[in-house]
Amino acid sequence: MIEISGLTKRFGERAAVSGLDLTVASGEIFGFLGPNGAGKTTTVRMLTGLIRPTSGRARVAGFDVAENPIAAKRAMGLVPDEPFVYPKLTGLEYLRFIGELYGVRLDEIRRRAPELLEMFELAPWGGELLESYSHGMRQKLVLAGVLLHEPKVLMLDEPMVGLDPKSGRLVKDIFRELAKRGTAIFMCTHVLEIAEKLCDRVGIMIDGRMIACGTLAQLREQGRGGGQDLESIFLSLTGGAEYASLLRYL
Amino acid sequence: MSLGLLAARRARSLRNAVVALTPYERARNAAFSAAGLALLYGLYAGFRRALVYLAGVELIGRLMTWKLTALMFLMTMSMVTVSSLLTALTTLYYSFDLKFLMNAPLDARTIFLDKSLESAFFASWMIALVLTPYALALRAALHLGWGFMAAYAALLPPFLLLAASLGIAFTLILLYLFPSSRTRDAVWVLSSLSLTIAYGLVRFAQPERLLRPDALRVVAQYLEFLQAPTAPYLPSWWAARGLRAAAEGRWLAWCADAALLWACAAAVYAGLVALAAKTYFIGYSGAQEGALRRRVHSLAPLREVRALGREGAVLWKERVVFLRDVKHWSQMLLICGLVFVYLFSIRRLPLDSPDLRSLVSFLNIGTAGFVIAALGLRFTFPAVSLEGRSWWVLRSAPIGVERVMRQKLLFSAAPMLLVALTLGASTNWMLDADRFTAALSLTALLVVAAVVCAMGVGLGALFPRFRIENIHQVESSLGGFVYMAASLFYIGATVAVLAVPMQMHFRERFGKAGAWDARLAAAAGAAWLALSAAAIAVPWTLGRRALEKNEE
Repeated sequence: MIEISGLTKRFGERAAVSGLDLTVASGEIFGFLGPNGAGKTTTVRMLTGLIRPTSGRARVAGFDVAENPIAAKRAMGLVPDEPFVYPKLTGLEYLRFIGELYGVRLDEIRRRAPELLEMFELAPWGGELLESYSHGMRQKLVLAGVLLHEPKVLMLDEPMVGLDPKSGRLVKDIFRELAKRGTAIFMCTHVLEIAEKLCDRVGIMIDGRMIACGTLAQLREQGRGGGQDLESIFLSLTGGAEYASLLRYL
Repeated sequence: MSLGLLAARRARSLRNAVVALTPYERARNAAFSAAGLALLYGLYAGFRRALVYLAGVELIGRLMTWKLTALMFLMTMSMVTVSSLLTALTTLYYSFDLKFLMNAPLDARTIFLDKSLESAFFASWMIALVLTPYALALRAALHLGWGFMAAYAALLPPFLLLAASLGIAFTLILLYLFPSSRTRDAVWVLSSLSLTIAYGLVRFAQPERLLRPDALRVVAQYLEFLQAPTAPYLPSWWAARGLRAAAEGRWLAWCADAALLWACAAAVYAGLVALAAKTYFIGYSGAQEGALRRRVHSLAPLREVRALGREGAVLWKERVVFLRDVKHWSQMLLICGLVFVYLFSIRRLPLDSPDLRSLVSFLNIGTAGFVIAALGLRFTFPAVSLEGRSWWVLRSAPIGVERVMRQKLLFSAAPMLLVALTLGASTNWMLDADRFTAALSLTALLVVAAVVCAMGVGLGALFPRFRIENIHQVESSLGGFVYMAASLFYIGATVAVLAVPMQMHFRERFGKAGAWDARLAAAAGAAWLALSAAAIAVPWTLGRRALEKNEE
């Protein structure tokens, strides 16, 4: 469902993403990990057509993102790392707007928008302007907007940030259910526990390059004896040993 | 010490921004700076021409010159005060870096000093930049030395600080008394209203009497008007009086006015800091509280709405957001005031002959076109930038950039065309212009409005600023300057090209045989259409391409 080959993005001299090759199948949840500035968000922004790659190709749901961006965008839904939404629209109006933008039939919007608000416990706020929503509420609304148009591919950049534990659990269950129905999910996260429990495969990126990719078992083998859980593997691959000297300094 | 550190961070940021400029950006900035200087030179030439004329009037020339200078300072002061009211609101209460500064071990006084000086600077620099060509023109018209400019430079900082302090003080008090995010809305409405009223008052004071002594019944009355101080208790009068003293070589008198301005500025600013000690933090704290819950409607209306489609949804969103945002709709007050004053000015024009009235109706393309361009700077040019940080919603949606731009154009074109129609048709009716002139000027104005709108959206897309704190940052940006320069050039070219058929029409009116040269008229028409098409296509295409590549 997602096919990436040689994807590169340079900002001047610096390569934010360098020669990324990756495939995410239908119904798969792929976790994208890496330290700050590794190039995860840049990758998501290239895949969703927000920025153009310097070189390489990305296909989403069979459509080349650079050559056929509209068709590719129609097939995917994005939850960005910062859920900025129009402050002067209400929650319900936002969903209507998103529904219309993605070509959802009006009767479908009428039926599903209130259901989604109910599901994310936003129904009492549906008629309120978004400027009065908290960060977590906006995050949930953006998720509701993505679910409204039932995309084949979900691009999630830190989707759990700002969510309360109950909503976090709900969102994880939703992702599992969507994957069962065949949706491909590409998720950037810093929360290793979520990646460990939710993702079928995990990729680890450092300095724009993917240094490891596979299932948890495969990563354990690559982890050079770092440990059994994803945190240990991640730290061993990304150079976690430096933390020991830092802790001594503190 | 802390203030020095805060100032150093600004200097460092500025330096880094300059160092980080690419060669292309440097060349572009240099080109636009050159264009800016050319514009300022144009202003200087215009002022100089007017001042030379005034100074040349026998007996009362000098009086008239200084009266005009006092009016210029009064106008500058009112503009800086109103501007600082809005700037202070954003810089003192809603700046991006305030949360960081407030959390840092800095006292509120230091933060206030830093932010209030920033407000004063941003509220006044552009207005001061326009006043300077006036001072230079005054120097040239009155044959004064460079000492006069030094005297002007010494008077300007305290004058601007005083004017800005008044606006800042008003914002401080307002946010202290009503410490809520809703006050921001009230300030927008108040400022729009006060600008409208100030503009109306200045206009209805009929400053044109200065140039028309016959408008006043007796000579004595006119002389009295010229000699009377213009708002004697305001710093604008002290500055104008000081400048006159410098021009006349009365340096002691200049010293007295300069000392008065500096002392008052120091006292008022010290008072402002004292006021801030009591009010600033309370106002800031209130302004940070989340926006009040505002129920717009229940869930029921979704059953009643009709399908919009992709493009219709964008247009609908534009309309809803505009009508709900006070800082947008409150500006409509300003437009109504502007249109009313414009029509009042046309009505007051002393035009006796039908020929002269028709000529003014034709020239109205230029003046009303300028009004439309200025409105476009406020409403059309920022349309793309106003997507702000929500731009990702449209950018990641299955809708092309051009379609979004088209909807933004559609949304802003309707009111702009209405303003053009109102200005054009009312002016023609009031002037009783002949049919040909009325049809030509009205058609031209409607086309100008449409072209200026497309130019606004196109250049707005070419120079988008999605991470802004307030809309004034978009208007006063490099892109805003390019838009104004481009639209004024187009309007000027329109008047110049359409003057060809107009000239033939006048020759016919005056009974000249063979007045019409069909080929030349057709060529002028074709040239105008080509110019208009280019004025739409070039900024639009450049803007679309730039927005498609935009990576903010």
